[in-house]
Amino acid sequence: MEQLLAVWVESLALEQPDGSTLRNTLSVLDALDALCPFSEVVRLGLYALPLRGPSRFFGGDEAVMRLVRECVLEVVGIEPKLGVAEGLFCAELAAQRELVVPLGSSDAFRRAQPLDVLGRKDLTTTCQRLGLHTVGAFADVDPARVGERFNRHALYLHRVARGELSEMEGQRDPRLARRLALLRGEEEFFEEQQGFFGQRGASDDRADAAAHRVRRRLGAQAVVVASLRGGRGPEDRATLVPWGSPQANVRDVAPWPGQLAAPSPATTLAHPVPLQLRDAVNRPVVLSTRGTLSAEPTTVIFSSPLRREIIWHAGPWPLVERWWSRHRRRAHLQMVLASGEALLVVAESHRWWLVGIYD
Amino acid sequence: MRPVSLAKSRTVPLGEPWRSFVPGGALRRGSTVVVQAPVGLGGLSLALSLLSEASALGHWAAVVGVDDPGVVAMAELGVDLRRVLFVPRPRGAWAESAADLLDGVDLLLVRPPSRAAHGAARRLMDRVRERGTVLIALSEPRAPWPLPADLFFRVTQAEWVASSRLDARYLTVHVSGRGEAARGTEHVVVVPNRRGRAEAN
Repeated sequence: MEQLLAVWVESLALEQPDGSTLRNTLSVLDALDALCPFSEVVRLGLYALPLRGPSRFFGGDEAVMRLVRECVLEVVGIEPKLGVAEGLFCAELAAQRELVVPLGSSDAFRRAQPLDVLGRKDLTTTCQRLGLHTVGAFADVDPARVGERFNRHALYLHRVARGELSEMEGQRDPRLARRLALLRGEEEFFEEQQGFFGQRGASDDRADAAAHRVRRRLGAQAVVVASLRGGRGPEDRATLVPWGSPQANVRDVAPWPGQLAAPSPATTLAHPVPLQLRDAVNRPVVLSTRGTLSAEPTTVIFSSPLRREIIWHAGPWPLVERWWSRHRRRAHLQMVLASGEALLVVAESHRWWLVGIYD
Repeated sequence: MRPVSLAKSRTVPLGEPWRSFVPGGALRRGSTVVVQAPVGLGGLSLALSLLSEASALGHWAAVVGVDDPGVVAMAELGVDLRRVLFVPRPRGAWAESAADLLDGVDLLLVRPPSRAAHGAARRLMDRVRERGTVLIALSEPRAPWPLPADLFFRVTQAEWVASSRLDARYLTVHVSGRGEAARGTEHVVVVPNRRGRAEAN
């Protein structure tokens, strides 16, 4: 993990209504940029820059910190708090305590912190009742136990505590970069970068108008937009929501362990269709608890009398999900039929479902 | 005529491998492309792959009449989902919905629920020509698009290559059309390949 110099300027953390905060934030950023081109504003009041390069250039960590201190003092008239540690989460904590955590000690530094640095009261209280007082003690709890007791956000914090994630949700202000760019008059740059999410162009407005016309004709649910979220199978990853609903812009393309590999089926059924698999002697094929097939499937029956011959299949690829709450055992199976069609089917609770067609 | 349509380019970009198969290497605005394939043999993948390049370059697209679009497959093909409107079940009003969308998108993919009526197809193609959109009509040999197209992609054969999983599908596609494309050529393309994209063989 990279060693970061975090710069905490308290007076810039709270935005003043006159717009001076944003202007000063920009001036400090420009001044820091002159020292190190990789300086960034994390959120109002907090800056970060990688330490290694500038340290080599200016002759040591102390030299860089002195320059940064002078530079901030000159621009906004107050001394910042500086801290050095690996990863943004530790670097911010170090800055608040004005500490330089030596290279390689950030892990111990993080583990020694009191639990409330994770910023969740219920988690702190519950853990303290269990005798866990530090981030390190929390980190040593089995993730499955954390999942049993808390929600997904706590699992995320647990990863921060273990050091798998170097920064915390909410540490960064995602809109700040764009606001600063607007202030600089670099709006076009962001329009191009962000497209639909940021500045809207004429073509977006035309598309909106068209969607409105179809809605008037067919009803509010008729036009949908799609996005991707995390998940194992293509049927889990697709999100289709009516156009205009607030969650339409959510997008999650983070890597997901155990994801079914490309290519994905061009048709993914929103409502899976039940089907049956039969072996050579016409017995039903079932998925065992160990995740294997009871026999080689040779025939698929959609609804009698519609039967098709299976000429190839791969899988089953088992998926065990939400192990901490409810057993949900599924397995994917790909198959090619004698007619040339390829299908994606899922076994769940002793039944088979058609979830995708590679058409 | 609105000035914005005059300022627009005369074509909509087309990605590989299709670019090298069609005259001009792009889709002409106002033209109709028909994709015909037997059920389940790659027609939808092919039609969606025609959208990908334009979509990635910022053009809007609409998909009408595809009941359960494989959104993940579309992303793998390179389609930018942020600029796609879906009308999955237009019921009887597929032609009207398509016409409603013409002003708003640059590419319009339509799969009529059954055999498209001659009159409806004619009216839609006329409006497409007038508005400068590109219409991509997906059909089957059993229920062909009732009118001749500017470009005609016909899947004649589809073959899967599989190892421990489905790896790639080789489609034999006959490309024909009007003007320069009238001669007709046959190509083998991979849609989708191991990464879910379309590529030349």
